[in-house]
Amino acid sequence: MSALTVARIDLKRLAVRPFAWTLAGIALAMMAWQFLLGVSAFMHAQPTIPGPASGPGYVDAVVAPYLLNYIQLCLVIAPLITMQALAGDRGAQRLALLTASGASGTQIVLGKFIARLAFLWLLLIVVATMPLVLGGATHPDWGQFGAALIASALCVAALTAIGIACSAFTPEPALAATAALLIGEGLSLIDAGVRIAGGEGGWLGYLALHTHLAPAMRGLMRSEDIVYFLIIIALALTLAIRRIAAERERG
Amino acid sequence: MAATPALLELDHVGRRLAGRAVLHDVSFSLRRDDVLGLLGVNGAGKSTTLAIIAGVLRPDTGSVRIDGKHVDDDGRTMRDRIGWVPESVPLWPELTVAEALDGCGRLRGLPKPTRKTALERELARLELTDIAQRLCGQLSLGQKRRVGLAQALLHDPDLLVLDEPGNGLDPVQAAQLRELIAKLKPGRGIILSSHDLAEVEAMCNRVVILHAGRVRHDGALESQRGNLDAQFRAIAAQPASTAA
Repeated sequence: MSALTVARIDLKRLAVRPFAWTLAGIALAMMAWQFLLGVSAFMHAQPTIPGPASGPGYVDAVVAPYLLNYIQLCLVIAPLITMQALAGDRGAQRLALLTASGASGTQIVLGKFIARLAFLWLLLIVVATMPLVLGGATHPDWGQFGAALIASALCVAALTAIGIACSAFTPEPALAATAALLIGEGLSLIDAGVRIAGGEGGWLGYLALHTHLAPAMRGLMRSEDIVYFLIIIALALTLAIRRIAAERERG
Repeated sequence: MAATPALLELDHVGRRLAGRAVLHDVSFSLRRDDVLGLLGVNGAGKSTTLAIIAGVLRPDTGSVRIDGKHVDDDGRTMRDRIGWVPESVPLWPELTVAEALDGCGRLRGLPKPTRKTALERELARLELTDIAQRLCGQLSLGQKRRVGLAQALLHDPDLLVLDEPGNGLDPVQAAQLRELIAKLKPGRGIILSSHDLAEVEAMCNRVVILHAGRVRHDGALESQRGNLDAQFRAIAAQPASTAA
């Protein structure tokens, strides 16, 4: 119950914070532009690509790259949205107030995570609405569309959890954002060298976000990819919970 | 006649922060209807003591008990018996006073009807009704302190823990605070920290003087009136090593 209360308070705070709305506005404007570019490129290329049986369709050519662009944007937005979550509240003694009110470390961390995730998922829904409105006219592969959307949602949740963990471990919000950005970019680029060289990523490849997003963008929802994102979420939140629970000992 | 049982007992509490011993062997108790002033110079360990009582920090040694029960035995239930207002009142600047207090009531697990009644009661008691729809970030220090007190009183706690409640208040607000403490006193225990002797003399009936993390004096204020200033100065003048 307390986790939902913490989430409710934080969502209210996000909803009236100009920073959150500015970020959302910039993100949506960028995504709208990307979508228009994607649709335009698809329409120009359509006469040259093979027929619907074998050629890339609307989801391959427009939706998948578009959602991958949103993930790239979230590598920056998630750290900015999560940086204040615990680092900012700790400095202002609001974490102490939550603890004194009887909220446990788990409830505080889960509440903060749920609030930020709700905001970023809401943004994802709005982002996904743009390609959806063309769905009626383009006969997309809804299965592929759904898989790409689920993978994007899981990836955003993983990036949010990383941001929350960084906010738990650092005293300054700016440090938390920097750390989360570095970890997110690290996971995004970890196997880039191997991929450019044309090799298999090996264990580095397994760690990379791209490895677990690519199959879903082709419509293949693999359990190992779901597990990968769930492991990141669980690991990051567990670390954050342990750090917050230890605040009573550390002071 | 049997002595009134203690509401709060600190038993040989010790605590280190950032590798430095901040509290050594701190023991004192507080009964219902008592207002205890925790006096000490800056860095004496007052805020750490209050944070330990409020359950925000865990003691390294010793124990804190309320009505004989260890605070950590049933953290949630025991913390619901305490209302804490830290020195820098932590409010959510983006929320209105009413929203912030409602959130605090929710965190305390108060059901909706109780929460609504408690909110109206505290808004009226602390004269916050007129500013209930104002954002917490736009309040003056005196108003913030009153909102802090309201959040600490929402769940009607047995023990009120106030860290430097008079800091930054003008004389009118300080007088209002004294009246409020006198009204809140019946049926509960109140512990407040201060380095202002006049404030403590005006509000408290007992005083504990902390110096370098140790209790240097614990007694009824009545017997100390007129002498408290000299005693406090003498204790504060002692080097920390002597105090230890």
